[in-house]
Amino acid sequence: MNAKDCVAMILAGGQGSRLGALTKNVAKPAVPFGGKYRIIDFPLSNCVHSGIDTVGVLTQYQPLELNTYIGNGGPWDLARNYGGVYVLPPYQSAKAGEWYKGTANAIYQNLSFLDRFCPKNVLILSGDHIYKMHYGEMLKEHKKSGAAVTIAVMPVPWEEASRFGIMNVDENGIITEFEEKPANPKSNLASMGIYIFDYKILKKYLEDDERNPESSNDFGKNVIPQMLGNGEKMMSYRFEGYWKDVGTVQSLWEANMDLIDAPPKFEIYDDSWSIYSRNTALAPQYVGKNAKITESTVTQGCMIYGEVSHSVVFSNVQIGENSKISDSVIMPDVKIGKNVVINKAVIGSGAIIEDNAILGVNEDEKSKYISGMCTNGIVLIEGGATIPAGEDIPKGSMVEVE
Amino acid sequence: MIDTMGIIIASNINIPPLTDIRSASALPIAGGYRIIDFVLSNMASAGLENIGVATEANYSSLMDHIKSGSPWDLDRKNRGLNILPPNIGKNSVEIIRGDLDILSGIREFIHRSRETYVILSLGSNIYSIDFNKVIESHKEKQADITIVYKDLNGIDQKELSRFTLLEVDEDKNITDIEVCPYYPKSTCASADVFVMERMLLESIVDECSARGSHDFIKDAIAKKMSGLRMYGYEHEGYTDKIDSMKSYYNNNMKFLEKEMQEEMLKSDLPIYTKNRDLPPTKYGSDAEVVNSYIADGCIIEGTVINSVLSGNVVVKKGAVVKNSILMQGDIIHEDALLEYVVLDKEVEITAARKLIGQENYPLPVAKGTVI
Repeated sequence: MNAKDCVAMILAGGQGSRLGALTKNVAKPAVPFGGKYRIIDFPLSNCVHSGIDTVGVLTQYQPLELNTYIGNGGPWDLARNYGGVYVLPPYQSAKAGEWYKGTANAIYQNLSFLDRFCPKNVLILSGDHIYKMHYGEMLKEHKKSGAAVTIAVMPVPWEEASRFGIMNVDENGIITEFEEKPANPKSNLASMGIYIFDYKILKKYLEDDERNPESSNDFGKNVIPQMLGNGEKMMSYRFEGYWKDVGTVQSLWEANMDLIDAPPKFEIYDDSWSIYSRNTALAPQYVGKNAKITESTVTQGCMIYGEVSHSVVFSNVQIGENSKISDSVIMPDVKIGKNVVINKAVIGSGAIIEDNAILGVNEDEKSKYISGMCTNGIVLIEGGATIPAGEDIPKGSMVEVE
Repeated sequence: MIDTMGIIIASNINIPPLTDIRSASALPIAGGYRIIDFVLSNMASAGLENIGVATEANYSSLMDHIKSGSPWDLDRKNRGLNILPPNIGKNSVEIIRGDLDILSGIREFIHRSRETYVILSLGSNIYSIDFNKVIESHKEKQADITIVYKDLNGIDQKELSRFTLLEVDEDKNITDIEVCPYYPKSTCASADVFVMERMLLESIVDECSARGSHDFIKDAIAKKMSGLRMYGYEHEGYTDKIDSMKSYYNNNMKFLEKEMQEEMLKSDLPIYTKNRDLPPTKYGSDAEVVNSYIADGCIIEGTVINSVLSGNVVVKKGAVVKNSILMQGDIIHEDALLEYVVLDKEVEITAARKLIGQENYPLPVAKGTVI
């Protein structure tokens, strides 16, 4: 078998606890995004457009939906005879069996998968970022420099720099220092969690890291600082463009809103870089006689009889007469009755909002639904929940299925 | 029904300029579908696993649409969905003068199949029919041939003359068949769905083509009436066939009615179609869309009223689209006005142009035209 030039590993393992009720039953990468997609469609589509045809998806929480979604990889053109996409859960081997302890350990546990393809380079990605990036260009730079690892970085606003892993680089782009969430950042170049490693070097460091009982087996905390300390050649690769971590309810809501701003902060109407996803063809959307839709995206299977403004509406959603939806994300199969008002909300898949309900309009700090997950007044309704007729759900609420 | 195979004869009806480049069976309808999706999906829902689509000419668009058959779950190890181009057997005639010639050309396919029954249909009809019920009725009546029909009682004579009409008695026995008669004697219009044993079809095709016949209904079915037990199966729901620009337009507009949407697209018999990975449709800040059926991938900044839009259509600011059918990739520039038009794919209407047809005479524009 031929050796692969580059194999991608997507770390899709995180529990996504900051997404609250949205990740109760699905892994974070399987959370719906952008009207027709799931978060994982972005790294997967990027891989395919970058010429990477072998991808491992490492997952351990709520794998059922993600497994079903990825299936044989066909929708991303990743149903291949040699290569393709593999879902890699932790497993019980003859020697040991354990959960993925950290990002580095997750890759370590799958070294035998990587060995099958004898890759020269391994691309490590995260399953919770929204962006379009040509990994092939980064790979080219990585090869040219001959670095042990190349790390994608992007400039972030200085005032936010202390929330990120910050890379200090010299004039040639060589990484000289790495600081995880520094109080006084020396640079504003944040690590995007995208690494290309020389596989032989990666394997050695992962094996060493595994033998170190002190290590928390994490790339950012352990492996990268260790490599830096040993004087390995580490390059930065500058990325400029849209990139968003959608790990919290607020950032997920914001990233959806970024698609519908005029002009959009993030463009998905791009033929040369289609985002692929698994979906069956449904009936076109029907826009009713008294409907009004502005500054929004709506997709197949929807029946819209009310008003929708500045919102992202997923497939098979019904919005009844006289209802007014604004600044909201309405996930698939949601049914909204008549005379409903929804403002600044994220409504999970299959939720039912009955007639005359009011969501995200009034303030009531004493409400039992107020949740720390829902910052900035966003309302979050868990998938499958029912909001009874006439109910008033105040700003900043999270409603879960009882 | 694993003991039943399907044959769809792709439509050769001429609706210029739309059918210059494709069989009418491959015409886009209701925004996201092709006409053949209805019969194909009904067959797939009934559990048929061996379906042949017989084509005469202009079949590249149809092949592109159907490909491996996976949207209908018919991409199978054995059998599945087969496109049957013309003249595949030694029995074929050189000039195709009727559907019997097409059937004769695929005789080998019929012969090699193993199913007991066959559902034969024309690929130009719009309906949602539970074919399992038709086959049950066929078996129950011990019919030789069952024909699905719809009683169109109440519509005017000229409309009625578009159809093959069946005379049916109380027992659903078919006593006479007339193809598009000028003075209709019956109101029972054939939906162009025939159920029979596969061996019977093979022998009818063989016998008739050996005698130089060309037309399946006129030469084979109508002439064999006396010797065969022929029954009608009445379909209560919607059915129509696409045989002219007017019927093409009317059937598209029909999908704006809620009852039609519910019967055709939201029922237990889903209509499957090829999935094209389009992004969601985007509405701009000045968009005004009313009573319209819109596929994905459109960007709408203007006004769309009572219209049906396929994927990737762009309607720019100030443009008005009314009572029209727009196919994939059309671009309507600023301040253009369209009323009662049918735009084939990739048509571009430049800024401030006006194009107005009439309700009984929608104005068609050929693929790729720039106006």
